[in-house]
Amino acid sequence: MEMNQPNQEKVPFYRMIMDDFMLLLFLGVTIYAIFYLLWGVMELSNLPAIPDEIKKPLLK
Amino acid sequence: MSNTIEVTETHHEPSPNKGTIINTIFRVCDITGFKVDLRAEKLIRVNAVAAVVSLLLAVVAAILLVFTRYQPVHLLPAEWYYRLVTFHGLNALIFWIIFFEIAGLYFGSTVILNTRFCAPKLGWVGFILMVLGLVMSNYMILIGKADVMLTSYTPLKAHPLYYLGVILFAVGALIGVILFFGNLMIARREKTYGDSLPLVAYGLMTAAIIAVITLATGAIIYIPTFLWSLGLVQNIDPAMYKLIWWGLGHSSQQINVAAMVSIWYMVSFLAVGGTSINERISRTAFVLYILFICLASAHHLLTDPGVSSAWKVWNTSYAMYLAVLASMIHAFAVPSSFESAQRRWGYNKGLFEWLSKAPWGNPAFSSIILAVIGFGFIGGTTGVIFGMEQTNIIVHNTIAIPGHFKGTVVIGTTLTFMGITYYLIPLIFRRKIVGMGWAKWQPWLFFIGIALLSISMIVLGQLGVPRRHWDATFSGGPFTYNFNPAVDFFWTLMMLGGSLAFISVTIWIGIVVTSVFFGPRVNGPQDMQLKISPLAPPAKSHKGFEAPGTLVLTLIFLLVFLALFFLNWKWLAATWNVK
Ligand code: HEM
Ligand SMILES: [Cu+2]
Repeated sequence: MEMNQPNQEKVPFYRMIMDDFMLLLFLGVTIYAIFYLLWGVMELSNLPAIPDEIKKPLLK
Repeated sequence: MSNTIEVTETHHEPSPNKGTIINTIFRVCDITGFKVDLRAEKLIRVNAVAAVVSLLLAVVAAILLVFTRYQPVHLLPAEWYYRLVTFHGLNALIFWIIFFEIAGLYFGSTVILNTRFCAPKLGWVGFILMVLGLVMSNYMILIGKADVMLTSYTPLKAHPLYYLGVILFAVGALIGVILFFGNLMIARREKTYGDSLPLVAYGLMTAAIIAVITLATGAIIYIPTFLWSLGLVQNIDPAMYKLIWWGLGHSSQQINVAAMVSIWYMVSFLAVGGTSINERISRTAFVLYILFICLASAHHLLTDPGVSSAWKVWNTSYAMYLAVLASMIHAFAVPSSFESAQRRWGYNKGLFEWLSKAPWGNPAFSSIILAVIGFGFIGGTTGVIFGMEQTNIIVHNTIAIPGHFKGTVVIGTTLTFMGITYYLIPLIFRRKIVGMGWAKWQPWLFFIGIALLSISMIVLGQLGVPRRHWDATFSGGPFTYNFNPAVDFFWTLMMLGGSLAFISVTIWIGIVVTSVFFGPRVNGPQDMQLKISPLAPPAKSHKGFEAPGTLVLTLIFLLVFLALFFLNWKWLAATWNVK
């Protein structure tokens, strides 16, 4: 913090985002976790269970 | 080492409580001028060596698989076929690729950034864990306790030590990725690079971020599965397993893509002094990878009944096309950086003089150009088509799927990694390349071999031949299927392609091992067999577009893609004939 010279030279906004790897890591993980993982897991866990009369014969 | 300057630097760590002093030994490379931390160099070397060993294991299994699937020979008994499918997949896709990537991450975060390695001891811990994991998993596979294939879909169950091996390997790799970020932070704090990371390091950072996503997902799925194999967990739901496993399986491929593309830019820079004609767009393309590419994992579940169409279509179309866009940007930016540089060197005649006068004698250069072509025309086209819900159904679970990824991870990533090794031998191992004559045509042989292998697998798949199948003739089975007679021709082609590729990998390993262990030492720039080009001069005059040749090639690519796209829809329409 001591080394920064605040507002001396404005870094463009897009560069600030693109150079911040922690932010990119956060965004990458979040987008994937929400759209792929959570949404997928929610759909799978909301599936109705197999009715017993179908399940029994399948398990011998 | 006569011309190698060794420098001992003392860093005063700005740590308030201890004020420790770290002695770091650098050598200043007399060829590139980079400052090389000798401790990083050792780690790069061992990881690269482990990668080569893994590749050797993988291709020995591969050639046996080829001659098993090739029905006139039908080499292995059924159980050994499945054992070696497991062994081949794991050693090629995981061990070879990831060991090499760790070497690449260490190279990109220390040598390229002129900085020191943050914690070399931890680097060794990571490496040892990875080796331990490799030995453990491979041993369990070979003694027949893990015939579950790479994907180990539940309820298939392997011996706990198989899963533990994979977990140890992953933990080791995660340590490597964390160290990469540690090195980046040191470089940033000590201001060893300009305002932004160089493009190559930026691409590797992309790879590292995707690796974090991959390894985290891996932990979510492998740890419960490990406990399940121990009997500590009752049940692993197969649908859930598949969903989460592919979050790992697909994302890990995108580490490869990002690392591969970074190397493409690096070789353009090394071989002809080329830089991206629009760095900002190239960087944006990497960011698109970070944000969207892992969603495309959903294309592995396109035929699964449990997840909805909305989930499938969102993740594999809208979101994935942003990642595909990124690949197309790179596929344009890399050749155009070659072209632009070559034109500035004076190869300016017509559309393609830049290509005909390219440094084809440099095996790293030819590897990269061939990888770009193969990756785009074979892997890229089929990837988009097979990743679409409608056309996926034609090829699902057929041998066209391994055909597709032979066009991405083999002709693309593997060829790229083999190519850059021709630079690593003199620069990191400090040895001359033994057998330059062989090295010059090895990439071509590999390209032809894998192209034949891949294309024939894709055609076979389109004709209905299943993947992971010991006997596609179903002999002695309760039913048979009469394949289109053309399959015999493509089986032969596949066997030929696989054999050529195998020979090419053997030659490459021969060159690498002889050079690294017995090659004459490199004592300075005079021993450098591959050119390291200065930066291409600025353009003399600006008229017209900077890279018209690349533009024409891109248009050809789009036409091929459209033709294949149309064909697949046509086949789909023919599959369900609506009258
Ligand atoms: C000489 C080079 C190679 C040859 C001849 C070869 C050949 C084969 C064959 C015949 C199969 C089995 C297809 C089936 O029966 O379902 C296969 C599968 C596979 N190959 Fe290769 N391969 C080579 C190199 C590689 C490399 C370098 C990689 C990765 C970097 C790779 C990754 C895979 C994967 C992931 C599978 C799927 C395994 C599974 O279904 O679980 N291969 N390959
Ligand atoms: Cu995938």
